[in-house]
Amino acid sequence: MNNLSPSVTYDKRFGYIAYGLLLLVIIFSTYLHYFQPEILRVPSNTDVSTWHNPTFEQTLIYDRMSEAERQKIRTEGVTDGNNLSLVLFNDVVMLLLGLICYFHARRHFGFWLASCFLIGSFVFTGLQESLWILGGRYLGGSFTNPMGEVIYGSYWFTRGGLWFIETPVVACIGWFFIAYTCVLTAGKIFPKMSLLGRATAGGLIAMGIDLWMDPAVTSPEIMNWVWGKGDFLLFFGIPIYNFMGWFFLIFCFAILWEKLPQMEKRWGRAKATNRFFLICFGADFCVMAFILVSWFVIVGNLLSLMGVNHGLLIPQGW
Amino acid sequence: MLSKIWKNRLEFYPFLCMYLFWFLGSFVSSLRVENRPGIVALGLITIPSLTLITIAAVKTYKELLLTGDTNE
Repeated sequence: MNNLSPSVTYDKRFGYIAYGLLLLVIIFSTYLHYFQPEILRVPSNTDVSTWHNPTFEQTLIYDRMSEAERQKIRTEGVTDGNNLSLVLFNDVVMLLLGLICYFHARRHFGFWLASCFLIGSFVFTGLQESLWILGGRYLGGSFTNPMGEVIYGSYWFTRGGLWFIETPVVACIGWFFIAYTCVLTAGKIFPKMSLLGRATAGGLIAMGIDLWMDPAVTSPEIMNWVWGKGDFLLFFGIPIYNFMGWFFLIFCFAILWEKLPQMEKRWGRAKATNRFFLICFGADFCVMAFILVSWFVIVGNLLSLMGVNHGLLIPQGW
Repeated sequence: MLSKIWKNRLEFYPFLCMYLFWFLGSFVSSLRVENRPGIVALGLITIPSLTLITIAAVKTYKELLLTGDTNE
């Protein structure tokens, strides 16, 4: 043990603490989600009449459904809401994909940087999603958009095995390998581009993939997650601020992580790690505030001034 | 070519992840969706992203040809 270099000793301690803490949060969140659902107001998958902020009628999926589909959801609950084999399949596939991506990161960047990417992106995006989800649950119905329409909460995930606060672990793992691959792809294709340029390219690549996935998996046939009404512009039934979130999360995280080696040179590994995670936490709140202000306040008011007096409506059956 | 890729498969894992994620998360999901006109055709919107990921994978392969196997 005494022969190990300081960075190896630190990496070991960092690994135990960071992965240990993450595991504890996951175990506690999963316990809360399944055994104390009333604390975080987890919506029921079997009885949609108990939904609150938003109610079933205040969700975007309600508008997309035909009357027959609405009746089916009212009587049978969320599509595949309690399908354990589907949850298990999703969890195992996503964990495997995350794991092989982590192997790549570890070989190219070493244990510390790869772990900072994994845990950093996991927490950065998991916390961001949970902030939106819980914000919607507790504050939904309290605000209106610039067109005067009530914002009925945000969204929530209907399925997941393990949970990080109120975000399924598979979603956090997905964020990790999407962010990693998109940043890697941007670096390979535009090696001479500045960090800001590569981060922008990475964010746009990720957003491009999401433009198809979200409309498909939020459809009544799949219902992977549910959106509340309130945004004034929708892309195939998905609020535009969702895609802004995709872009800005990858963009900000790519910049933070690429700055990490410089931070290490300046402050040493231990201090750089602490500051990296602190900045990640702070950036989470900044991204949320930026989306709220830029989209709901600035763009919303501009549209309102231009004479738009109601949000985009979705045709039934979409 | 295939043996070269297999020998250095770790280099392609991130791209494989994205292809599988795209295939299972978007393509298979869109096929499950009924009565939503255009949901499958909407996949065309992912072409720019997929093209860039493919170019990056090809570039990785070309780098391997120049530098040799990474696990030797």
